[in-house]
Amino acid sequence: MMSPTRFLTIAGFAATLLAGTAYAEPVDLTVWHMEQPPHRVQRMKELLDEFNAAHPDIQVKQEPQSWGEVYAKAPAAFAAGNGPDLLFTIPDFTTVLKGIDVVVPVDDLVKDLDSKHGFVEATLAPYKYDDHVWAVPAYNMAISLWYRNSVLKAAGVEVPKTWSEWQAAAEKLSTDGKSGIGLPANKQLYTDQTVYSFMVNSGAGDLYNDDGSIAFDKPETVKAYDFYSKLAKFSPPDNSTWTWGEAEACFANSSCGMILQFGVINTYETQAEGDAADLGVAPVPHADEQSASATISYSNAIMLTTKDEAKQKAAKVFLTWLLEPANYGRFLTMEPGLFLPVTNDGAKAESFWSDKTVTKYKSQVETMIANSQNGKLFGFTTGKVFPSIGAISAQNVIAETLQRVVVDGQSAADAVKAGQARMSEIAAK
Amino acid sequence: MRRTFGQSLSLYGGVLVIVLAIGLPFWWVLTGSIKLPKEIIQRVPTMVPHSFTLQHFEKLLQASDFPIYLLNSMVVALFSTAFTVLLALPAAYAFFRMEFPGRNALYKTILLAYAFPGVVVLIPLYGLFAKVGLTDSPVALVIVNVAFALPFSIWMMRSFLATVPREIEEAAVVDGAPTTTILIRILMPLIAPGIASVAIFAFISSWTEFLFASVLIVSDARRTIPVGFAGIIGQYQIDWGLLLAGATAAIIPVVALFALVGRWFVSGLTDGAVK
Repeated sequence: MMSPTRFLTIAGFAATLLAGTAYAEPVDLTVWHMEQPPHRVQRMKELLDEFNAAHPDIQVKQEPQSWGEVYAKAPAAFAAGNGPDLLFTIPDFTTVLKGIDVVVPVDDLVKDLDSKHGFVEATLAPYKYDDHVWAVPAYNMAISLWYRNSVLKAAGVEVPKTWSEWQAAAEKLSTDGKSGIGLPANKQLYTDQTVYSFMVNSGAGDLYNDDGSIAFDKPETVKAYDFYSKLAKFSPPDNSTWTWGEAEACFANSSCGMILQFGVINTYETQAEGDAADLGVAPVPHADEQSASATISYSNAIMLTTKDEAKQKAAKVFLTWLLEPANYGRFLTMEPGLFLPVTNDGAKAESFWSDKTVTKYKSQVETMIANSQNGKLFGFTTGKVFPSIGAISAQNVIAETLQRVVVDGQSAADAVKAGQARMSEIAAK
Repeated sequence: MRRTFGQSLSLYGGVLVIVLAIGLPFWWVLTGSIKLPKEIIQRVPTMVPHSFTLQHFEKLLQASDFPIYLLNSMVVALFSTAFTVLLALPAAYAFFRMEFPGRNALYKTILLAYAFPGVVVLIPLYGLFAKVGLTDSPVALVIVNVAFALPFSIWMMRSFLATVPREIEEAAVVDGAPTTTILIRILMPLIAPGIASVAIFAFISSWTEFLFASVLIVSDARRTIPVGFAGIIGQYQIDWGLLLAGATAAIIPVVALFALVGRWFVSGLTDGAVK
């Protein structure tokens, strides 16, 4: 027979175990994202509240950050041991954090999600290197050519498909003090993006050779810069200070006939009060000898950045939930007309297409999605990723090269040669 | 002496140019914040609003965390100001009046600290604050703001102290007043404009501080205006009305402070300068 002391000990132990199970602390996850505008934070909150209510054992909270500071802030936070568990990213930011060993590969999760939802390959490719997948694609953004149908019609211009048609259109639209096209020439990321949109359309998409040496200086790149500088002459004179907002405003107030932008729908709808049927969007025109258009696309993704196994497991549950079509559309429409689906079933999701703005601009969004499938990103085109791309991107070398042509008056060939030297110098460090 | 017509014309013309150069951007921001979006983004800006709306302020106050940022900024700026003044006054007095070994070297070293770019110490400071559990805390911001405002504040305060005739202090010493009494009862009232100047300097430095606030603060609920506001604006798409309403609301406390103690500030700067 069991002694009373032994019985009490076992009973106490069992009670502790039971109590521990019944009142187990939920796994807390912290997500850092860079979607700070209030309506995006609000939509994230709604989604997280819903997820947390449905998963009492997991509690996810958001801490919105800014792209401007996160490159310095995240490494410092991880070094201090208080980094997030999930972190939104773009391809070059992933290389920065992978370099300090905080990114956990997500091969199995991505494989599962891919079989379930079907990732658009262009959104996955920038995160597949060094034998692993380093982030789960979340939404895509791709540059397109935006115009007003009525303006093109009044000028007797067809939507340009090739560079020669594009130049002719810009010339014709440059009347009455208006600019035929609004292209930036600032030493800033937006200019990197628009210039690269030209480069991929002249066959100069690859920045690196297979061995990691820089492959910037080639005739296709020179051609892209040369054409960009010709087209930039039809842009407003203050374009050397532009970021995305100025270009968008130029288009919204009809000062610019065309612009290259990720999306203008929200501004067009809320600030320009434009007619949805009048808003036109098309692929970025390609060089005359090329056969199809390509563009720059930013596959935004989510990295797993916790070494804690329970948190990793919980994070995977959350990411799986987020990409379910019923939830995913609402995630994308936190910024309708800008964030594009990265999964095939996401592109068909009722939760995406039922959004008021997406419904109103359905044809434009369909074109944006189609364009995004042909997206590339500088430094992430060959299947091999070299760490120097982070510095090349951060120092805006592509835009700096453009300024040599547009501001300093150098020839495109000389500027590209200098750009090659600059990139090689960065890569050598 | 009477001014000639040409001199008057040059004088008033110059004043007008300066007023326009300083005032027009403010005017554009203020009036823009009450225009309809379509008017704000017009190709040719309208200097006098053709429309009127409070929708941007409504959005700012109801749909964003701007009121929280405003409150956080207030708390951080007021505490930073108070500590800066409280530390700068005795420190400046010590450098000005007291004799101790290495006084001049220390004074120069403090000024050197003012010349240090903040970004150099950003990451080490983050690590330091993380170790003592002060990241994501307004206390960290107050410490940083005080540390960066203090050198120049000491230098300013020392200049104001130099304007006080030594005889006044000597009279107090003869009457048996200790150092703290001399500082608090005699010197403080005499250099009140200087204290106001230092306070305004410290307040504005803290109010506009972005770098450390952007890195040391993690959660949205603890952000100050410059950082929170930068996030509200957005990157790829800018809500210009919201931006202008936020800029207007952000300058109101500074304008109010200047309205209260602005006259002291100007006389304080002048007093310090003519010594």
